Amino acid sequence: MSDYLWDKSGGADPEIERLEHTLEVFAQVTPPPPLELRKQPPAGRAFGRSALLIAASLTLVVAGLVLALTMRRSAPGWQVTTASGSSTLPVGAWLDTQSGEATMAVANIGTVTVEPGARVRVLDSREGHHRMELVRGTMHATIWAPPNQFFVETPSTLAVDLGCAYTLTVDEDGGGLVTVLVGWVGFSSGERESFIPAGFAAVTRPRVGPGTPYSERTSGDYRQALALIDFSPGDPDVEQALSLVLDQSEERDEVTLWHLLTRAPEAGRDRVFDRLASFVPPPTGVTRDGVRAGDRRMLDAWWDALGLGTTSLWRAWSQQWKEELYRR
Amino acid sequence: MPSAPAEAETDVARLVRSAQSGDGDAFAQLYQRFARMVHGVALARVTRTEVDDVVQDVFMAAYQRLGELREPAAFGGWLAAIARNRAADHGRRLVPVHLVSEATTRPHAHDRVEAFAILEAIRSLPEAYSETLVLRLVEGMTGAEIAERTGLTPGSVRVNLHRGMKLLREKLA
Repeated sequence: MSDYLWDKSGGADPEIERLEHTLEVFAQVTPPPPLELRKQPPAGRAFGRSALLIAASLTLVVAGLVLALTMRRSAPGWQVTTASGSSTLPVGAWLDTQSGEATMAVANIGTVTVEPGARVRVLDSREGHHRMELVRGTMHATIWAPPNQFFVETPSTLAVDLGCAYTLTVDEDGGGLVTVLVGWVGFSSGERESFIPAGFAAVTRPRVGPGTPYSERTSGDYRQALALIDFSPGDPDVEQALSLVLDQSEERDEVTLWHLLTRAPEAGRDRVFDRLASFVPPPTGVTRDGVRAGDRRMLDAWWDALGLGTTSLWRAWSQQWKEELYRR
Repeated sequence: MPSAPAEAETDVARLVRSAQSGDGDAFAQLYQRFARMVHGVALARVTRTEVDDVVQDVFMAAYQRLGELREPAAFGGWLAAIARNRAADHGRRLVPVHLVSEATTRPHAHDRVEAFAILEAIRSLPEAYSETLVLRLVEGMTGAEIAERTGLTPGSVRVNLHRGMKLLREKLA
């Protein structure tokens, strides 16, 4: 990369200079306009959002809001707003939305909107650690706290928020689908992990765990092929499925290819290595033999080279919550 | 992952601690220092007419929640995450016609069409690339400044700039 793109030093790149000149009309003015700090959010926008929320709530009917107050009553709960009003959902209590949706304030770190037909409960809520369970239905989470403070357990995986907005669905069989809008989510079950960045989705299955993330721009054939690789490894068509994935993969699919380094049938992993290397060359010290052997440090180094965030914090975090789960 | 130079981190951390204890001037300095970054993060996701509202929203939210930030040196990354979330909330309401509506509702629209077209091309890139390119090409920040303000590593910023610029060149070719 030219130094000019990095720090405007060295010889100017004419094309970049032209872009800078053309785009400068959009820049923040200097100095920035005065900041209006008030104790409450700006009235107009706050009213607009509140009005939308109320209007949306009023159009829906919550036929049943079942709060089974069973355990840990003394622990703090989350504020739940439905068409019938607001209440506190204590830790351990179940919330069943039937024909209406509910919006939960996750302490002070974000919100979760639960769609009709879902079943959720709060498992834990204390400073720096908030965990809920989704056993059925769809929820939309928007979390503004630093990463690793919000967790969602499902029958087939644990979703770890890494600073983002995402949608999580669990079907009647316990399988799930996460679609990430902003930031990224870590999906984990046992030793199986998936990292899902914005614009990607991943399915999860009971007794297997999270599948390989895929871009939302991929074809249906691509996704079906991935599902075969992830959840039916003994199927005779797996090799053919892998070929389809490799053929259709573009540079945006490097996240998918990285996961396949350890998930593809062993006979096909060299082809995955080569395909990923064609988009993102393996960093120094990352070897074919090492990746083939599942060397964690090499795999992490290659992930870091994708430029989507480092794995080091994930490793520290995942260790923390795994230890916590084992203590429960 | 926080990556700012130690001196700058200390300075930011000092301002954050002061602001957490109620020093309005300290928060004003944080605003002056980070407004451009928040503006760029928002501009990568929402229309120009919404950007100023998002910036105000972001700093309002940060002001109200500053007490929750336990690691003052991580202020930049924390603020960037708020900005992305707030911009995403606004972005969900966007309709895909803002290129035309923005460009044609202003005087000398024909002079601005190219700028809007380039901005749209940047916005169409993967999020990590579009955000970094807006901060570099629109807001005029250097790679090191982007890393310092957003909490990304210099390596990630370098990769995002390199790949984003490559994709942008292809789109504009």
